[in-house]
Amino acid sequence: MIEKLRSLSIEVEQKNEHLYKVSVDFQDLESTLLRFLNEFDYITLDSINYRDDIEDEKFCITYCLQTAKRNHVLMIQTFINREKATLPTMHRIWPQAEIMEREMHEMLGVDFPGHPTLIDFALEYWNDIPPLRRDFDTLKYVEGMDPFRKNQRDDNLDVKVEMKRIRAEKKAAKLKEEAEAAAKENKEEPDNG
Amino acid sequence: MNIGFHGDKIKDEGVQCTMENKGGQFLIEDAIKWFRSKSIFVVAYGTGCGAIEMPPTFTSRYDAERMGITGVATPRQADVIILSGYLAFKTLRRVIRTYEQMQKPRYIMTLGSCPINGGMYWDSYNTIKKLDDFIPIDVSVNGCMPRPEAVIEGFMLLQERIKNGEEAGWEKYDKDIKQYKKNQNRALGGHIEPSYETDWYNMNSGGVA
Repeated sequence: MIEKLRSLSIEVEQKNEHLYKVSVDFQDLESTLLRFLNEFDYITLDSINYRDDIEDEKFCITYCLQTAKRNHVLMIQTFINREKATLPTMHRIWPQAEIMEREMHEMLGVDFPGHPTLIDFALEYWNDIPPLRRDFDTLKYVEGMDPFRKNQRDDNLDVKVEMKRIRAEKKAAKLKEEAEAAAKENKEEPDNG
Repeated sequence: MNIGFHGDKIKDEGVQCTMENKGGQFLIEDAIKWFRSKSIFVVAYGTGCGAIEMPPTFTSRYDAERMGITGVATPRQADVIILSGYLAFKTLRRVIRTYEQMQKPRYIMTLGSCPINGGMYWDSYNTIKKLDDFIPIDVSVNGCMPRPEAVIEGFMLLQERIKNGEEAGWEKYDKDIKQYKKNQNRALGGHIEPSYETDWYNMNSGGVA
């Protein structure tokens, strides 16, 4: 199949034994996906993966296609602008794309015009920028958000220090016990003087 | 301690019993506790990773039913809910709703370290850190994840506590309901859905807001 694609002057890059990549422009994305579905029988949309290339001001979006007949996965990769990121929705062709796109909308802030259910998915009442954007500061958000998160975990202890402390406590308790026993003996002795 | 079968109604009958025959009263209470400890119904609800330990616990391999522990489909018929891993804020809303639907006496058992102090999700933006602030935990089973033997040991500890009549989590929840509701509202931003028309603060006087 890969030879056939190459003979049709489609640039296919081999990533490893069972993984191939095709890079397309953003404008050709939908037509390319449809072509691979209809002409070349990649009937299953495996996943939609995304990466935040904050240095280039772009998102890298990868559609993984496969079919049970062939022992490989074909990635179709494209780059979109970080600002006002939009993608065509594929839920009419692959129904599973609906939930993948909904997740991508929530985690990355990509808009899908025509998508029926772009509502809260895993994060309810989210009030910040989408959390998988790299300019989202997780630690700052968590420390500001959770009133029950103290400065330190209660089990965040140094083992050596704790062992020393426990030993010292035991020693002190033993000394105290001995002193009490000695005092008791002294009391019980009859006073001859 | 006086645990009624279905809340306050039987409690009153228990008081009458005490007037007539004190010895018999204690016998009945002990019998009720013993029977209760031997019939524990666990609601089928899984959070996080530990839900995978529950099928072998309840089926033929470890067969928790020989100790009187079995599963049930709905929270309204259940005694125990197992929270088997980390809880996201979304899950916490559902867990609070499920817990408040369960009839008293009700117990909570947690598996693993995540419900105790967040575990490896300490720096996560969407996971609660300490479950005990929001709903009262009765038994925590350690391990990540605990084997079914450990889960059964946790159940046996719970049975022992029911038999001895120790103060259970649902009694603490009733007593400190204001603090629990305050914590829940603080963490969930006031969005506890569906919005109940129940007055959780005055359950003794009807409970309708």
